[in-house]
Amino acid sequence: MARPDFRALARERFTSPTRRRGFLVAFEGPDGSGKTTQRKLFKTWLRSEGHDVVTTKWNSSDLIKPIIKARKEARALSPEEFSLLHAADFRHRVEQQILPALWEGKTVIADRFLFTGLARDAARGLDLDWILKLYQPLLWPDLVFYFSVSSDTSSRRVTATRVPNFYESGRDVTNVDDPVESYYRFITRVIREYESLSVIFNFLTVDAEQPMSRQHHQLRELFRQGEGRPWSTWNEDAVAEWLALGGGRAAKGGA
Amino acid sequence: MSRGQGRIIAVDGVNGPAIVKAARAAAATIPRATRAGVSLWDASGLFGDLMIAPPAAGSPSARTLVLVYAADLAFRIRWEIRPAVDEGKTVVAAPYIATVVAFGRAAGLDAAWMEDLLAFATRPDETLHVRARPSANAGGRSGFVEFGRECLEAISPAAAREIAPRTLAWMTEAARPPRRVSAARRPARGR
Repeated sequence: MARPDFRALARERFTSPTRRRGFLVAFEGPDGSGKTTQRKLFKTWLRSEGHDVVTTKWNSSDLIKPIIKARKEARALSPEEFSLLHAADFRHRVEQQILPALWEGKTVIADRFLFTGLARDAARGLDLDWILKLYQPLLWPDLVFYFSVSSDTSSRRVTATRVPNFYESGRDVTNVDDPVESYYRFITRVIREYESLSVIFNFLTVDAEQPMSRQHHQLRELFRQGEGRPWSTWNEDAVAEWLALGGGRAAKGGA
Repeated sequence: MSRGQGRIIAVDGVNGPAIVKAARAAAATIPRATRAGVSLWDASGLFGDLMIAPPAAGSPSARTLVLVYAADLAFRIRWEIRPAVDEGKTVVAAPYIATVVAFGRAAGLDAAWMEDLLAFATRPDETLHVRARPSANAGGRSGFVEFGRECLEAISPAAAREIAPRTLAWMTEAARPPRRVSAARRPARGR
């Protein structure tokens, strides 16, 4: 039997004028930038607008998350291992959660996406090109909201109620014992990487030092402007690989 | 990985128990003064943890398995391989790079992607290919290819059946010396 043309199937599904296509929105930014609060408000609004919404969070797969968690607690991860395991978690979620939802025409909100891996791992001194390769075949979001805050604001908000943990504060790479001081240094590097990525990948920047309601209304506006964007054919490889694994079985059968 | 005076002998194949046996035999031939022992698959315990994940967590794809293999290899290099090499010793890595690259190719992954992914691992000084065919009944704990086969079973039984023989075929292909071009057929190098 001839092998199906999975790229053509992907194009057909995501460019059909007769159905709402899956739409992927990523929320990115340093800790303490208020992403999660905005993500929840945004999700509620999207639902009120009739979208079927699915949320996925960074490092959250049932398969890989427990493995990472145990090693983080033991402080047993090198930057390379840290990076590779997060990429494995991401890939598993792409295959098990994100692409199935997009295929069904749902709107997926990603509370952190691969850019988190790029920013944090580059801040740990790894080569950006190598990190980017871990995430291939790449799945690009339709929109990336970047919540921009200064290192001072991020540090103040994060350390107001808790002590940042070992990896969160970058103590594995800063050689600074004090978690608060280490966090400040590390998040400064992470923000620098985010700012570069923001230019390269056309993030939609939200000033996260503004009042919450203003940020939320800005998100609505940016989403309305962006929701008509055509599907990016850069995503064909990722969707085709997932289809080859048996993804979208029902849909391929004509559903 | 920076390199000391030591050596890496890779032992690759698709039959986990046979790889271990060949690795121990190879290590026994190394003079005691420079012998560092054998670095085995899953020294990090990552795959052991994957084995006990609940079925609802879903089965990892070949690409996810290659990423986890790379993480395990990074761990082995950090704790077992690099220290030995830096001390001027000879370490046997079983399996090393060839097994996972052949596995990935057998599963349809791009060879260049895997080469880039594994760029952190120093190429071995010597590679021994274990020709033993895959054991049909071996469980996932016996080796990487066996584990991969079990995982793929949940995704595509047909692909799972083919993965070990195809991995062996890719490994054989990769081990073949480059074809010689005779002098008469060599293109002229300018005038």
